[in-house]
This record gives sequence, C-alpha cells and structure tokens, in this order.
Amino acid sequence: MRNKVMLTAVAFLVCVSSGVAVWAAASSDKVVALRRLTEPEYRNSIADIFGKDIVVKGMFEPGIRMGGMVAASSTVLSVTPVGFGSFSKMADSIAIQITGEKMREKLVSCAPKSAKAPDYACAADFFSQYGLMLYRRPMTADELKAQVRLANAMTKKTGDFYTGLRYGLAGLLQSPEFLFRKEVAVSAGGKGYSLEPYSRATRLSYLMWGTTPDTELLHAAATGELNTAAGLEKQVDRLLASPRLEAGMRAFFTDFLMLDTFDAVSKDALLYPKWAGAMAPSAREEALRNLVKLALQDNGDMRDLMTTRKTFINRSLAAIYNVDFSFDQEWVPYEFAPNSGRTGILTQVAMLSMFSHPGQSSPTKRGVALNEILLCEPTPTPPNNVDFSAINETNGPMKTVRERLMAHAQDKTCSSCHNAVDPIGLSLEGFDTIGGRRERENGEVIDVSATLQGKTFSGAGGLGEFLHGNPKYPACVARKLYSYANGVNAEEADATAFKVGYEAFKASGYRLRALLKGLVVSPEFFNSSAPIEEVSASHIKTASP
Amino acid sequence: MKLNRRFLLRGMFQGSAATMMVPFLDCFLDSKGQALAATGQKIPTRFNTFFFGLGLTTSLWVPKTTGQNYETTVQLKPLEAYKKKLNVFSGMRVMVDDNPNYQHWSGVAACATGIPPTKNAQFDSKTIDQQVADVIARGSRFKSVTATCSGDPKHSYSSLGGANTIPAETSPLALYTKLFGPGFQDPSSSDWKPDPQVMLQQSVLSAVADNRKRAMMNLGSADKARLDQYFTSVRETELQLAAELQRPEVVAKVAIPTAPEEMIANYALPNVQKITPLMARLGAIALATDQTRVFNLSIAEPGSNMYVPGDPLGYHVTTHMEAIDPVLGYQPRVSEYNIYTMELFAMLLKELDGIQEGDGTLLDHSLVFAFSDQSFAKTHAVDGIPMLVAGSASGRMKTGFHIAGASNPVSRVGLTLQKGLGMAVDSWGAGSMETRSAYTELLA
Repeated sequence: MRNKVMLTAVAFLVCVSSGVAVWAAASSDKVVALRRLTEPEYRNSIADIFGKDIVVKGMFEPGIRMGGMVAASSTVLSVTPVGFGSFSKMADSIAIQITGEKMREKLVSCAPKSAKAPDYACAADFFSQYGLMLYRRPMTADELKAQVRLANAMTKKTGDFYTGLRYGLAGLLQSPEFLFRKEVAVSAGGKGYSLEPYSRATRLSYLMWGTTPDTELLHAAATGELNTAAGLEKQVDRLLASPRLEAGMRAFFTDFLMLDTFDAVSKDALLYPKWAGAMAPSAREEALRNLVKLALQDNGDMRDLMTTRKTFINRSLAAIYNVDFSFDQEWVPYEFAPNSGRTGILTQVAMLSMFSHPGQSSPTKRGVALNEILLCEPTPTPPNNVDFSAINETNGPMKTVRERLMAHAQDKTCSSCHNAVDPIGLSLEGFDTIGGRRERENGEVIDVSATLQGKTFSGAGGLGEFLHGNPKYPACVARKLYSYANGVNAEEADATAFKVGYEAFKASGYRLRALLKGLVVSPEFFNSSAPIEEVSASHIKTASP
Repeated sequence: MKLNRRFLLRGMFQGSAATMMVPFLDCFLDSKGQALAATGQKIPTRFNTFFFGLGLTTSLWVPKTTGQNYETTVQLKPLEAYKKKLNVFSGMRVMVDDNPNYQHWSGVAACATGIPPTKNAQFDSKTIDQQVADVIARGSRFKSVTATCSGDPKHSYSSLGGANTIPAETSPLALYTKLFGPGFQDPSSSDWKPDPQVMLQQSVLSAVADNRKRAMMNLGSADKARLDQYFTSVRETELQLAAELQRPEVVAKVAIPTAPEEMIANYALPNVQKITPLMARLGAIALATDQTRVFNLSIAEPGSNMYVPGDPLGYHVTTHMEAIDPVLGYQPRVSEYNIYTMELFAMLLKELDGIQEGDGTLLDHSLVFAFSDQSFAKTHAVDGIPMLVAGSASGRMKTGFHIAGASNPVSRVGLTLQKGLGMAVDSWGAGSMETRSAYTELLA
C-alpha cells in the first residue's frame, strides 16, 4: 500500500512537471533568507490562490519597524505560540471553506471515486496544484507523499474524502514552507550565491504585486527563463504593466509612510470632535489614493508628492479640510486652493495626525518621523536625565510650542538633534493634531518659518519645496524600496546594492516604475552572500561586572 | 494500579457514554484545603504580571517606615484593601552596565529579565513570566495568556527573548474568545467530554511537526533558531490540544461569563477604566479554571500615552512637561495619573481576590508582579523604580511588608518571586544585576 502511494505521488509530480525542472533541494543550496509572511501578503496570497470569497479572520502577530520599515523585521521575527495558534486556526477555517460543499466544485478540480474513501490520485492532484501556489514551487515527492498520507488517514478516520482534504490542506497552510518565504540561493561559481528561479519569482511577485507568484511567473521559473536577462525583463515588464501592481505598491507605500501605525492612533474626542470613528481608515486611504494616482496612474514625478495640491476626499475628511462635501460618490478628486497652505502628502490628515499626540500637535514627532521616512535620517534617542521643565512654563512667557522648543537651542546636547528635527515640525505648526488648519496657538499667531541646512523657508509650502529639491528624498525612496524588496534594514543597506535602481529612477525624472525595473533587473538584485553558519557569540550578552 | 482522576476520566470516555457529573467541591480537598484529597493534586500556584508605565511619585508612594504595619501612602491608597496581601519594594536599582539607559525601556527589561538590555525595545532573555511558565504551566491549556487595556497588541511585556514578543489580546471579546470560545468546555459542566475534533487537529499538527528535519535543511544559524522557535510554538499548540482532551481539576466555583461586547480600546482613560476590570475578570476566571497559570496584563506601553479627555498633553507628555510645584514638591497632574494606574492595578487584585478556592482566594494562591519603566519619568530616571508583589503563593510568600531596597538590584525581587513559586533557581539576572540573594525574610 505504501509503495502504491509513493508511486502515484511520484508519477503525478513527474507528470505535472514534465518538461520542467523538478524542484529538489540540493545540499549545496543555501537558504539566504527566511521571511515571515506579513498580514497583507498572507491575505493577498489566499485571495489569489483560492478566490476573494474566502474569509480570512484572525490575529496576525505584528511586525516591528526596523530602519523605518516593517518589511525588514520579516527576516528577523519568528512565530510565537500565540501567533502559531492563530495561524493554525486560520488554516483550518480556510481549509473548511475550500473543501466545503459550497466551494468544492469550483476549487477541488477532481472528483473522488467515492466521497467516503481515500482517493490517492485526486488527493495528489489537489495537493500538488495548491502546494505549488502555496509553497511557490512544486512540492517535492516526499512532501506530496506526506500530505496525501495525512489526508488519506483523516479520510479513513472520518469516512469522508473532503474532510481528509480539509485536514491535509490545513496542514499545508500552517507549514513553515507557506508561512515563511524561503529564499534559496545556489552557488554562483565563486561569486557568492544567487537566488534559484522560484525564489526569484517569489521575490519579484511579493515586491510588485504583494502576493504569491502567478502561474506564468512560476512557469518562467520552471523553464529557467527568469535566469536569462531577456526572460527576466519580459516578466518584469509584464508585472509592471499589470493593474495588480497597485496592490503591491499600496503595501509598499503603507510600510514606507508607516500608515500601519494608524491602528494605534487615538485622538481626544472631547478636544477634537471631528475625529470620528472612520477617520483613520479614511486618512490612510486618502494617502494611498494619492500615491497610486501620482506614481502609477499618472506615471508622475515622485518628488511632486511633496508639492501637489491634488488629492481625494470623502465626507469625513472634508470636515477636517473645511470643504463642502456635496458629491454622490464616496471618494472624489479634489484640488486645494493655492492659498490653502496644503502641500502634497505632507499636509494630508494621515501624516499630520499620525505623528502627533492625542490632544496636541507635536513638531518634534512630526520632524522625527518625516526625517526618517522621507530623508532616511533617523534621530537618536534624547540623552538621559534631561529635565524638560524649562520648556514647559505654559503659564510663563513661553506661549507657543516654538518658544518652548527653541529653549533646546540653549543646550548643546539637545540642539544637535533638535536643530535637524524641529524646523520640519515647526513649519507644519499651521495644522493641529488632526490635520485641521489653524493660525494661532494660545492666542499667539503661529510663526511657521524655519531654517534647515542653511535654507530658510516658511510654512508647509516652504517645506514641500525644500523636500522637492532635496536629492536625499528620492535617494531615500530607492533605499526604502530596496529594503522592502529584500527584507533588509534600510539603515544597514549599502548604497551600491540599489545604485542601478536609483540611477534609473533619477534618469527617468523619478518615475516609480523606472525605479522598480532598474532595481530588479540590476545584476546584484538576486545575489546574496552565504548565511552565517555558526553563532559567533552567545545570544545573551552579559555585561562585565 | 493507582486510580486517579485523569485515569477515570479517560476510562469513561473510551469505555462508555457515562459522563462526568460531579462538580468539583471543597469536600474533595484535604483538611488543609490545599490538596485534592483523592489525588494529592495541589491547587496550582499562579503567576501574574501587571505592567504600568511611567512609575509613581517617590515622595507620594514610598512608605516612611519599613517592615510590616507601615502607614499607607497617598499613591498606595487604592491598594489599601490588599495591604496585608502585598509587598512593596522601594529603592530598587536598575543597573545598565555598559549599555545606554534606553528611555522607557531599560527599567522594563531590568524588572522583567534581571538583565540590562543591549537593544532598545528587546529583551535579552525570556521574560520572567515565560521563565515561570516553563516550570508551572504544565497541564494547563495555555502556557500563558497576555492582554492589554489600550488596544495595541504590541503592548506586551511577555517575550521569548529578542524581538519575539508574545502579542497581547487587545479587547475583552478577543480575550474571551481565546479563553472561552471554540476549544473550551466548562470543567463544571455535567456533560463534559473530550472533543473528537481535537484529536484530528492533533494529527495535523503532528504531521506539521514531522517536517521539521526537512524544513531545517540548508539554513544559517540565525534562521535555524527562528524555525526552531516556530516548531516550539507548534509543540505548544499540541500541548494545548492535549490539555483540551483532559478535564481540568478545578477547585474554585466560578461561572463562565457570557461574551462581552466589542468595545473601543484606546488611550482614553475612561475606556481603559472600562476595559481593565473586564480583562482582569477574564484572566482571573482563566486561572481559576486552569485554562492557564500565567496571566499578564498591561495598561499600555512604557511612556504611556493614556490621557484624560480634555487634557491636551496626556500622561507621557505631562511627566516631561509639568513643572514640579515649588510648594508641594511634586508634579500634581502627574500624581493624579499615577493614582489612576494604581486604581487600575487594584482592579486586577480585586478580581483575583474575589475568587474563592480551597482555604483562600485565587490571589492567595498566586503571585502578582507589578512593575514599571521609570522611577521619575520626568528625567527618565530608573533608580527606585516601583515594584509591587501581591499574593502569597499558596503560603510560600510572607506578605504585608515594605522592603527598602537600599540600591540593591531589581533582580533580587525577580529571584525572590521565583523562589516563592518554588522554582529551583539559585541565581538570576546578568552583569551587575546578577544576584544569588533573594529576600529570604519574605520566604515562608
């Protein structure tokens, strides 16, 4: 019986992979990265493999931001018991839906000889079809055999073929091969290591479409096409031309602009009643719509994100922007007046409200965030034992935040960082903690002038112009995209790793597609050094007494 | 062959349709009320942590005298009802050695691991609750359960080390569903029986675990460790399922509540005040019904952004910005916030102390470790960080004391807790906080 299972499985694998290379790990291969799927990656993958009707409900362990990007933590984090418990439940719930009576006709491509008994061929068919999509490579003969064996055992226990499939599929969905993207590299002939074709397809697909590779991309991996310059370019052009690029870039923009942090933003409803329940999702959507329109639909200059007065609004946002909302649609394009003080994403509700306190704007938070996000310049934590009393005599002579912050300039330790951060935030002080326009604070007219790197400007408009002309901004976009694509810390990335992409970006007048293409077709993109085999020092560092 | 309760239960399930009908009553306890008369099984000792950000105001919380019968201070007033069940540690020192004092972090990590953190926002070892859970959790359904009262799953100070924080449940409904949703059966129910579905799930997990060797192939050492953690998590879920097939031996008489409503969880104090007692109650019932033996609750993050509606600054910014009142000698607004946090801690103690089991309450059979990130938040100071320990660990810990730490390392408290829980630990902490010296005067 056992032999029969194996023979069927192997035969099937050979059959599906006739003419293509059978995937099998060689002992000389190296796993150069193990990337835990993010929540959007997981959701998109399930929707693309099984259809958008599948309900995915459950908790995803949060990532952490490293070097400004959550993507960088995907190569560092593991799965905790709580996280696995949730993955396990989700796997079962998804598998129940797929094998249930309602969807099985559409999703299970073969019919068993009997619905009450194991059917090796049908089960093998099912698992190799979905295994390929879930593992992003053909399953090995051993893997397929093990999965069929599990399903058959469960069918025997329950007397139902589809229940067997359910448990087998639940197994696939909670296996590390699905929950982690394994990037496997092969020796590149004395020049380090280079990703094997399926890992290339996977990296390209999650970068550009935010999801698992489609059949055509997997085929290009199987035939070796992705390992040729022409074949790679053909696939990259296809991915770039597809409307599915939007989903992928929305995921990148969300990480890049830290829009995921909105989930933890609260505003004081007593002080800011306009901040109602749906505000955070609205503001996040506004930012994403802007990015998609400018960067993808209009193929525009990414620097214009700093200065454009065009946006999209819905009813809740209109209240904050003081715009009469008399439209039928949920979202409408809107252009702010030239004297509105609004300038690109800098003055949208999202960026202004995320980096503020619940009841008060914070020039420092805004400055720190924008420096890190847009210029890749992280701010070190303030020195210890700083007494902030001096800057908080709100009843005393210092009425505005500016005056209080300027007190930092008196102190050398503080000024080194605050001089780089505060001007950005102070120029945005014309907007309150939820992004509403204001002229005064505690009765005083707000001074929004700023001097940064020897350039003096005024207000958000001045900041927008300053950033538009600052070459560090597009260089930072390139650095962050590289970090996102490869799961590395942007602060630790060597600029040569994304140099080709950046040059293409610049030469195109800062078009996002040019950056994407330049980055992924550059010879370095799939190269890797070998992973470290041994731990050089104890994980737990103990300081000397 | 020795007959025990588990054996009987298994026998009944496999042999017949007979159902377990005896609710677990105090008459099953021996004369001391601590061990089940028939099986010798003791009421398990539980462990809780409570994290509150931004410390307290030294002049307002530290009692004037040490030992027992100290005069309750302004900021300990909310805990007055539990004074005799509480130990208060003042003057404990956080040593950072060659590392920076990571603001709003070094204190947290020192209290939770006894190790000065080498990285911001990461622990250099498992946190104390996980170290304790490794020893005391055996047989309970969840090794540990973690919840937070302000809505962000990252506000968890329970960690497997490094960046592997165990995410917190963020709403009473989520916590309820985890504990008493699918997979839970009321141990006092008359028709309790193992769910055959659970056994099928076990087969799936065992197949996943069987792939371990193949999955580990060709990995570098760091990724090996990560995948190893993944398989440890698989194993823990297997143990959870195994526990679901066993009826817990429950001493307390508690009713399983109905599911709470979905509610807004954020930094607004009224919401936190609404959610904290619900989280505390669910945690207490989970402990009493042996769903877990380790429950962690946090108000919010270190450097808490909690705010009273209408206060534009909120707690964290107020600690830095508010001037010290020259007459009072402290920050009056900050002091109010400090007291709110102690009131929230009292809500947890109330729920634990409200459940009777055997000769005492759930609190008597627990240790509850409350700690913070700063001593004087205004300047990010950590020396004299407030540490409070409630409960007597089933009689192993003496209570009602104020211990003046005299700049001893905070790790002494952690070591004392572990010894109080009966763990075989000789030393705890690292660097200059490594200690072999528990507060033996508190150990019974």
